[in-house]
Order: sequence, then C-alpha cells, then structure tokens
Amino acid sequence: MNIHTYEKFWLGASMVLIVGFILTITYGSVGLGIAMVDDSEPTINPENVGDHPDFGDPGVEQVGENEYVVHVVAVQFAYFPGEIEVPADSTVTFKLTSEDVIHSFSVVGTNANTMIIPGEIASVTVEADEPGEYGIVCSEYCGSGHHDMEGKLTVVPQDEFELEGDE
Amino acid sequence: MSSELEREIGHDEFDPVGTLGLITIYFLILVVLWIFMYFVEFAGGDLTVVGVVV
Ligand SMILES: [Cu+2]
Repeated sequence: MNIHTYEKFWLGASMVLIVGFILTITYGSVGLGIAMVDDSEPTINPENVGDHPDFGDPGVEQVGENEYVVHVVAVQFAYFPGEIEVPADSTVTFKLTSEDVIHSFSVVGTNANTMIIPGEIASVTVEADEPGEYGIVCSEYCGSGHHDMEGKLTVVPQDEFELEGDE
Repeated sequence: MSSELEREIGHDEFDPVGTLGLITIYFLILVVLWIFMYFVEFAGGDLTVVGVVV
C-alpha cells in the first residue's frame, strides 16, 4: 500500500494523541487517585430510610483522625441535613440516598457531583483541603420545586470545627 | 476539462504543505486543549472524587 508521507504523519500523530489520552486518564486515576462514583455501596429500602441505622440520623460523623462520613438524605425538595460543616484538611465521604425520586448532589464549581437514586446509596469521597463555602444543588429535574432544592457545604478551619452535639 | 496531461508527478512528489501546516496546527490545538481541560480545569479543581482503584 502506498501511503503518502503526510498521511503517515497524521496517522502517527493521531495514535500519539490516543495513547496520550489513555496515559493522562491512567495518571489521573493511579497518580492523582481520581475515582468514579460506583455501585459498590449496598442497596437500601427507600420506603423506610428513616429506620436505617445511618440514614435514620443523617449528618456528619467522625470515623478517623481526619476522616468524616456525612450521610445525606435527599427528598423533594431538600437535603437533610441542608447545611453541612466539615473541617479543612480532612477526607470527607458523602453517603447519599433518596426517599422519593432521582436527585443529584452537585457541589457547585467542583468535581464532586453524583446522582442520588432511590434504593441506592451513592458514595463520594473528597479531600477538603482549604476552608471555603460551596453551594449544593440538585441537577436532576425532580419536580415542581426542583429549582429550590439546595444545600450548603462549609469547609471550616480545623480549629473552628465542632461536631454537632459536642460542646 | 482538457484531458491533456500538463505535468505528471509521482506519488510522493505531491506536496500539500499548506494542508500539512493546517493539520499540524490542528494537532497542536488538540494537545493544548486536552492539557488545559484535564490538568487545569479538571484536576486543578477543588473537591475531586477520589478513591482506591480496585
Ligand atoms: Cu432534587
């Protein structure tokens, strides 16, 4: 087969591009630890989320020295709890479920974003490094009050952080 | 069109440097955009979902 030099160049260049894409994604996942939201969590009965040992009393919970788990229940048209406070320099895992329809948990302006599906638990782990304030919105159309469905995530400096109920 | 051959050139004598220049620029744009999108916009963003690769 007679392939023109320039065409060979382009074929080679596109191969380099594809290999480069794969390498960057591999670096992101192995080097930076970037993960996908998966279905590794167990399922849950959406009819009685309130009876669930964790989702019955949602909120922030400390599970390690700098590790926190936040259980959040989404309903039409709010998150419980609606205001979440976690300390800076910590690893935070959000466990999310819905009591009614599909919602989402989208921390605005960040890469933390997942669907919340009734009957399923979505788990999202992020590193909260810097103090800051983030809005949380539902980006799955979930009904007439969808536009009002929001929450707030505040990352506070470590010395200002206090777990709910701790005095 | 006249069927008279004006000049015959061999396969590799065909030399579209303009096209070569265009696809080179196109390639460089793709590379720069990919690096910007992945490393600056995505990986440089806050609160990225992390976890252990199984
Ligand atoms: Cu919603």
